[in-house]
Amino acid sequence: MKARDPSNEAEVRRTLVSDRDLGFTMLVRRYQPGIYSGARRLTHRHEDAEEVAQDTFLRAYRALDGYDDQRIRDLQVQGWLWTIALNLCRNRANRPIQETPGLDEPTGGTQDAVPIDSESWNRRLARLSTDQRNAVVLRHVVDLPIADIAAATGRPEGTVKADISRGLQRLRETVEREDLL
Amino acid sequence: MNNIEDQLATLMERPPYDLERNTVIDAGAGDLVSSVDSRFGPLWVAWSRIGITGLTPTFASPTIDSFLDQHRRMSYEASALPRSLEGEISEALESGESEGLDFDLRGLSDFQASVLESCSTIRPGQVRPYGWIAEELHKPGATRAVGTALAKNPIPILIPCHRVVKSDGSVGSYAFGPEMKRDLLIREGAIAL
Repeated sequence: MKARDPSNEAEVRRTLVSDRDLGFTMLVRRYQPGIYSGARRLTHRHEDAEEVAQDTFLRAYRALDGYDDQRIRDLQVQGWLWTIALNLCRNRANRPIQETPGLDEPTGGTQDAVPIDSESWNRRLARLSTDQRNAVVLRHVVDLPIADIAAATGRPEGTVKADISRGLQRLRETVEREDLL
Repeated sequence: MNNIEDQLATLMERPPYDLERNTVIDAGAGDLVSSVDSRFGPLWVAWSRIGITGLTPTFASPTIDSFLDQHRRMSYEASALPRSLEGEISEALESGESEGLDFDLRGLSDFQASVLESCSTIRPGQVRPYGWIAEELHKPGATRAVGTALAKNPIPILIPCHRVVKSDGSVGSYAFGPEMKRDLLIREGAIAL
């Protein structure tokens, strides 16, 4: 059997119920790029992001053992995964931001190029409060719906929207200041 | 690109190419597949972090895709088997003794796994009728079901379903043909040339 791309979240949930291992592979394929990209901004380091992106799914796999079918059918998958991932990011976020270009680049040979200005964005995002940074990254890097961000962060949707709005405003001001230099 | 939101969206990255594979394998949710040489020609071998999950001669599945199409578990191609596993398999193929090997039979029914575990106790040089396994499992009426379970053995040769023969002593059927079954049994000294 070869891995194939799941078409949507409902298919992932259905497959997790009917075939746990196949469903898990779909889960990883569909959501790991988002977890990795978000963790990359929340932990600053490629190596940490890779660990978070792997550990999140290993913990999710173990957790699924304790879930009955109905609980899996009701899962808000992205919110659930990001609850795990944010905890893991929090443990790694206190390391200093790497300033030297080049040292942070991934070792995988076939990966897409590191986004332009990647390290500048890490520095800009580091100036936000943790809640603002989490909300902005999950909404605008990972493209997570507000409801999933609220589930992952344990904060009300209105508060999440305010975090995003204030975070974006602060980023705009930072970029404008950089443009003046 | 002046819009802050648009710039943030460009930060979505593709993870390292082997991260999905490593995650699925580390969880135990999928297998790696590679080939190993043997006197039967190259064999496809699939293994998880628990043990061997599948084996098929390349004469029966000429391409890795044809093997993966019939393999029951999610799998990723590997460049080679771990050296220790390759050595253990080669030794088992040569001696007919698979006792030191770990098998991962998850995904099979409890009955099929029991049949294969019982079959694994038949030593090289011995043969047993299908009914013997049914008796071992305390299901004397399940001879036909035993035959079906053995026909679907995902790890033939290493789990020696070729040592199970018809009650009249004839070799019976085999996934890779009765000639190969006869050849295996002659080589193990279970039947005369």
